[in-house]
Amino acid sequence: MKPRLVPRRSAGRVALLAALLLAVFGGLALNARGGVEQLVGYLALQRTPTFTVPAGWPRPIYDFSNNPITDAGFALGRQLFYDPKLSRDGSVACASCHQQFAAFAHYDHPVSHGIRNQNGKRNAPGLFNLAWQPQLMWDGSAHHLELQPLGPLANPVEMDQNLPDLLIKLRADAEYPARFAAAFGTPEIDSQRLLRALAQFTGTLVSANSRYDRYRAGDTDALSVTEQTGLASFRAHCASCHTEPLLSDFSYRSNGLDAEPKDPGRSTISGRDEDRGRFRVPSLRNLGLTPPYMHDGRFDTLEQVVEHYRSGVVDSAALDPALRGGIRIDDGERDALLAFLRTLDDPAFAHDIRYADPGAPR
Amino acid sequence: MPAFPRSLLLLPLFVVLAACRQAAPSLPAIQVEISHVVAAAPLVIGETLTTPAGETLSVKRLQYYLSNPRLLRADGSWQAPPQDLQSPEGYYLIDAAKPETTHFLLPPAPAGEYSGVEFTIGVDETRNGSGAQTGALDPAHGMFWTWATGYIHFKLEGSSPASPEADHTVTLHLGGNGLQRTVFLPFAPKPVRVSADIQPTVHLHADLAAFLGGAAPLKFAEQPLVMQAKDGLPLADRLGSLLSVDHIHHEPAGAPHRP
Repeated sequence: MKPRLVPRRSAGRVALLAALLLAVFGGLALNARGGVEQLVGYLALQRTPTFTVPAGWPRPIYDFSNNPITDAGFALGRQLFYDPKLSRDGSVACASCHQQFAAFAHYDHPVSHGIRNQNGKRNAPGLFNLAWQPQLMWDGSAHHLELQPLGPLANPVEMDQNLPDLLIKLRADAEYPARFAAAFGTPEIDSQRLLRALAQFTGTLVSANSRYDRYRAGDTDALSVTEQTGLASFRAHCASCHTEPLLSDFSYRSNGLDAEPKDPGRSTISGRDEDRGRFRVPSLRNLGLTPPYMHDGRFDTLEQVVEHYRSGVVDSAALDPALRGGIRIDDGERDALLAFLRTLDDPAFAHDIRYADPGAPR
Repeated sequence: MPAFPRSLLLLPLFVVLAACRQAAPSLPAIQVEISHVVAAAPLVIGETLTTPAGETLSVKRLQYYLSNPRLLRADGSWQAPPQDLQSPEGYYLIDAAKPETTHFLLPPAPAGEYSGVEFTIGVDETRNGSGAQTGALDPAHGMFWTWATGYIHFKLEGSSPASPEADHTVTLHLGGNGLQRTVFLPFAPKPVRVSADIQPTVHLHADLAAFLGGAAPLKFAEQPLVMQAKDGLPLADRLGSLLSVDHIHHEPAGAPHRP
């Protein structure tokens, strides 16, 4: 998986410089400008993302000031994310269960699929806007973006890779010491550098370019009349937990899936019995890209999800009070809601070349 | 058990270098030495001992964090180095099986008399939530829970015929916020002096019998396995009785050290 990113980007810079020189000194012909804009647009896609807070969004939780994003640091994090060496037997990368085309969820997999063909116990969530999440994972077991990878790395049904052995592997690798040197100044590889490089990649996965976002930004044509009706319905029935604009309040709640939960959920982490069967409220962004749904991936379609809230909510002590009795909407309102939920996809994010596998042929 | 990173051996050196950089003229820093004991006898890894509850135990691993040391001055005020969230200074990972981890230098302190030292046993809540750390706090040391991110403050592993677990294992992992304990260790019978011509050394005993004993001695027959914060909480107060000052040395600075 030798990345071709670096030479290509150097070539890109030369091309950019040439284009600028041409523009300044060449008295660029009007009909050539479109081509240059296209070139500049293409080169922009090759760049390291900058971390910017979209308009109207809250302050992020993750603080990049201790881990400034650099070209080499981001590129290293991206390479690590896609590298199966990070698992014990070299078979599973982070990207195995977090596929970009599925907004970094695991498409068509109810639960994650780890090394030696083992099934995990929960649905691999999409990865985006992680810098705003106070905790990560369905049960909030990871309280810091940098430390989150330690969970799936160590889990015997995911990557089953202990940290000291992974560091030994990376230090012995033909490429990594030089890449760590480029990112952090010296070729030493320690867990902090590993985790910070990964955070430069995962923390910059910002998805804020759905039709819903364009509508919020003032483009009233971005949503159809039906979708706007669905948005009103969403705001009336869903937004108290799926808070705008991140579409989650990141609290832990039970949405009435089971009377007797098989998975203790948040209670394992909090130690409180009342948290049994409670899970983090997931963001609804990229909903159409991230089936199946729920912490155990039990629903394949959004229709099933909405029907669960209409007619399937099961009572229990942990059930969120707002969901007692379910959400009462008629079939017309349901159809509008479903239409709106599909406007939350951000296909540009799911196809952003900057987040793609650096070793994949293009 | 992961190989102990050699970089940790350099920790006392870093403390000395920091001292040289900061204080002018530089003064010898107080050295802390820890002996692991079971009541009056030395603790030997892999050998069988009898616990205060009358059970036998063979210790395979005894590791714990000491952190945030601060010194009590004779006038009742505290001497504490400034905290830097990006530096592991002031965090010590003690491993009873690794002699190189059982002595370290405290951060530099001005000349004067000190009547005691305070430590957190474990890793404080702020640092527990500060992301990927280095040095003694590197999660690669294995003193870190990955399924519920946070440091393990204290780890006792071994085997006891009393344990009902498979292979009679004993596993006590005390970790998570709320289980850290602060201990104050008075320097007795006399205070510790910091001055240019003296190398002070505080010799501590870490007594496993004191940890396991007390009013209700811990029974491995009943509690062989603790790996969650909520199960560890009832045991956390025992951390407060682990350490005590055994004796104090004041030797000429630069002289070879006699333990």
